[in-house]
Amino acid sequence: MPPFRPLALLALVVGLLCVAAPATADDDAAPRVVRVGTEGVYPPFTFHDQDTHELTGFDVDVMRAIGEEAGWDVQFVEAPFDSLFPALDSKRIDVIANQVTVNPEREARYLFSTPYTYSHGVIVTSKDTDDITSLADLKGRTTAQTASSNWAQVAQDAGAKVQYVQDFGPGVELLIQGRVDAIVNDNIAVLDYLATSGTDQVKIAGNAGDETLEQALAFRKSDPELQQQADDALATLAEDGTLAKISEKYFGADVTVKEGSRDVDVAASDSRSTPEILQDTAWPMLRGLLKGTIPLTIASFLVGLAIAVAAALARLSSIKVLDQIARVYISIIRGTPLLVQLFIVFYGLPEIGIDLDPYPAAILALSLNVGGYAAEVVRASILSVPRGQYEAATVIGMDYWQSMRRIVLPQATRIAVPPLSNTLLSLIKDTSLASLVLVPELFREAQVTAANTTEYLPLYAMAALYYWVVCYLVTLAQGPLERRLGRYAT
Amino acid sequence: MSDLIEVRGLRKSFGEHEVLAGVDFAAEAGTVSVLLGPSGSGKTTVLRSMNVLETPDAGLVRIGDASLDFGSPPADKAAYRRAVKALRARSGMVFQSHHLFPHKTVLGNLLEGPVQVQGRDPEEATAAARELLAQVGLAGREDSYPSQLSGGQQQRVGIARALALRPEVLLLDEPTSALDPELIGEVLAVIRDLAAERWTLVIVTHEVRFARDVADQVLFLDGGVVAERGGAEVLTEPREERTRRFLSRVLDAG
Repeated sequence: MPPFRPLALLALVVGLLCVAAPATADDDAAPRVVRVGTEGVYPPFTFHDQDTHELTGFDVDVMRAIGEEAGWDVQFVEAPFDSLFPALDSKRIDVIANQVTVNPEREARYLFSTPYTYSHGVIVTSKDTDDITSLADLKGRTTAQTASSNWAQVAQDAGAKVQYVQDFGPGVELLIQGRVDAIVNDNIAVLDYLATSGTDQVKIAGNAGDETLEQALAFRKSDPELQQQADDALATLAEDGTLAKISEKYFGADVTVKEGSRDVDVAASDSRSTPEILQDTAWPMLRGLLKGTIPLTIASFLVGLAIAVAAALARLSSIKVLDQIARVYISIIRGTPLLVQLFIVFYGLPEIGIDLDPYPAAILALSLNVGGYAAEVVRASILSVPRGQYEAATVIGMDYWQSMRRIVLPQATRIAVPPLSNTLLSLIKDTSLASLVLVPELFREAQVTAANTTEYLPLYAMAALYYWVVCYLVTLAQGPLERRLGRYAT
Repeated sequence: MSDLIEVRGLRKSFGEHEVLAGVDFAAEAGTVSVLLGPSGSGKTTVLRSMNVLETPDAGLVRIGDASLDFGSPPADKAAYRRAVKALRARSGMVFQSHHLFPHKTVLGNLLEGPVQVQGRDPEEATAAARELLAQVGLAGREDSYPSQLSGGQQQRVGIARALALRPEVLLLDEPTSALDPELIGEVLAVIRDLAAERWTLVIVTHEVRFARDVADQVLFLDGGVVAERGGAEVLTEPREERTRRFLSRVLDAG
């Protein structure tokens, strides 16, 4: 193969990496935009209304009231609980409103508002367990907890082994399945779950200590002004009875004062039948598919293919440095989990000043991943084009890029289609991870509804069905595409 | 400067192995030069050096007003590339196994060079390409893909593709060696026509009888040098013993 120009290639690669421009800076003009991080899957505190599908809940209502009082433009950003603190650190959000319990570790890292909920912990076990009634009984047992929640610490301090789950609902499933012995959690969340699911498989077995825990809004240490405004607003709302009113609406008691949580009476946050739930969720999931999964897939695949071609050409280059760079890139991508790559791009890069919005970040991480995997496919396909083709292109006067573009790559494309369709199918499914970097997509919608309703099997099965249908359509398109690309071969 | 082609002192080694040990020849415009010799004698390397598919270690190649001295090439990379490009632009190449572009139609193969490289008007180039196809007996096959043609037809498209560039010289590298015996005749007939039309041809071939008919100049290569040269009589009354031995071997086999 003739040598080619490294600078042009380098420019191409750099250009591709710059496709996603850094996010714009905050606008200082009033009213201040305050981005509020919340789970959206933790009823009755933060969840989606079964009818309107709007984000609602106690924490959400409190936050809206604070925003109104403080004159903020409140924008909610939904993410799994374990992603909320990294999101706060990396300035994706400005405050967390998600029943964050105040503890010394957190106080060391974050600023907290005055508490707006007082709760106490309870121990949940399966209905047949009768040897766990207090924290002392947890020693040596296994509990299911959210990784970064305060309750995980409480269980650990009691000597329990902790199995980490994404949120409370899946933990209860583990409990019912007998895979864990207990869960320590906020009594309000537990009461809501029992009321909503109607399950008699689990019970509240006892209190997790006598302590009353305080939940508050979490801010960055560097943002005391915001914290002060929130405190002022909370004081006013407590005084004029707004907080009490919101609490009564959800809990039949005022949990915004100490010991209030002892009298809580929670109504079911969702009472639909399974077919109704599936019917109501079909559209939000389809929307997640059309607005999240499919655009993410298309954009990441196209950018990823461009990266793959560049990396493959670099691997085939006679210039050693390019080859080495491409080798390292491919090795890193194939040797590390996609989830880790996503988190590095989204939560890690802001620390060195590269601050991408959720969509660009997800597309960047997914494309780099596709590029790493597809590069070797593209390289093998280019190598499979006979040497004579290069010579024929050379003697009719083509330069390197002309012969690549007009002669070699078109032939390599035909060879690359079957293995690349594998890459595409993987990508479609991998986009489900984007929910972890705040991109709403298909699976996220399933999780939101599953959290409200505890209907895990039907909802996740429906999500699986959506993915399968899309993948099936892709494989259907593969046949005609291969025939078209192969029309010249008999 | 009446010679169209001038090759002087061409040397080339692959590692330890010296393939060309100083080859000289010249050819006038409108003549047919035949290179022959046992395998490994360097004849194909001479041909591939003339359009820089191989880069000789030393020596000079000139076609028309384009020349490149490989012993002391331009130090400037861009100037070197320009010189290579100019040299290549003066010749067309026909490969042993045609190397047609499989993903392009017959017409597409003929247009690729004129339109994409030379930037000629597509309409004009298409008309010229159709004429060439008629000339090699393939009128009506414009829209076929190479895989739909016989080996002889493919090679005739290969010749037409080389001619479509309007080169000053046509280089043919064993154009019939990969063909079934019954298909050789149609390709040789086309080359015969080109010779009759006074194209300047340089042919590497084992077809001695054919060479006898068309050659104005015969170069017998052995061990990387021109062992014997002359007119077509070299093929009937060779002076050198090794030429004689080679010819009898080839003719016996044929």
